[in-house]
Amino acid sequence: MWPEITKQLYQFESAVLSGLDEAGYPFSVRCRPYPDASDDEVLRVWLPPDTFLRPGPASLLCHRHDENLWNLKSFLVRGVLKKDDGGWSFQPNQFIPGPGIGGLPAKVRFFTRSRRNARRYLEKRGLARPRIPWDEINAAKKAISQELIRSPDE
Amino acid sequence: MVRPSRVVAELQPEVEDVFEEFRTCEMSTLARDGTPITWPTLPFWYSDEKRFKITTSIALAQKALNVRRNPRVSLLFSNPTASGLENPPAVLVQGDAEAPDEIETSVAGFEDELRKALHRQPASLAYGRNPLTRYLMDWYYMRLMIHVTPRRILWWPGADLWREPFELRMDDVA
Repeated sequence: MWPEITKQLYQFESAVLSGLDEAGYPFSVRCRPYPDASDDEVLRVWLPPDTFLRPGPASLLCHRHDENLWNLKSFLVRGVLKKDDGGWSFQPNQFIPGPGIGGLPAKVRFFTRSRRNARRYLEKRGLARPRIPWDEINAAKKAISQELIRSPDE
Repeated sequence: MVRPSRVVAELQPEVEDVFEEFRTCEMSTLARDGTPITWPTLPFWYSDEKRFKITTSIALAQKALNVRRNPRVSLLFSNPTASGLENPPAVLVQGDAEAPDEIETSVAGFEDELRKALHRQPASLAYGRNPLTRYLMDWYYMRLMIHVTPRRILWWPGADLWREPFELRMDDVA
């Protein structure tokens, strides 16, 4: 897990660190995590001294997209946020790849898993697979795409 | 010590610009063990209702399931790519969410959001265009709605998280 985290982390300028605040709400900040100089396989993060974040369960997200919200790439690391004399650190315990990681095999797995997830969601609730109104959807898409061609800045 | 904030009484235009123009925000929901799980998502802001709508497929329902168990969520707007905004603030919304267990498949009544989504992500026009993508991606159109009501909004001018943020508590908004 650690080699994968460091390999992927270096491909992003920054990450989103999420933990909890004192009221128990999620609280996220942008930061630039870097491997601790020790061999402990933890990431160090610089946070403002009076941050709202509290030590405890946390996650680290890296993501990016292009100008057309495409070429998505992301991954999430679950872990624990700690504070000690050396400052703040993030102890990873699970790497979760997102879109754009793993190539074609990952894409195939994504589609097959998504179909299976949908089936299970419906089965658990005793629901039949709903019929998708493709004609309605494609007509709406066509109308909107023509609007966008006429007024691309809309 | 908790960072003091500059408390304001109204939602500022530069913050609503971020809500309207950012392509994604980083949405956090709480897993069963309390870990905030954060993924990029496409939010829709309704200025008149002062709340967000987010949709997700039943195939990717974890955030909706998390919300049903614990409604506390946050939305961080920190990636301005393609927003067209110059030097926007970073904005964090903390709020309470609802995720009703109703599956939407029709786009009727959702045209404005579809327009915005297609404008921002033109490649998604291809979803469902032919029998293969209809088979592979029918789950994409089985949607759950998540409504997020902000409780507190923090923003950092220039996205400088080392500065004292502005803070708006929505209970204080008339």
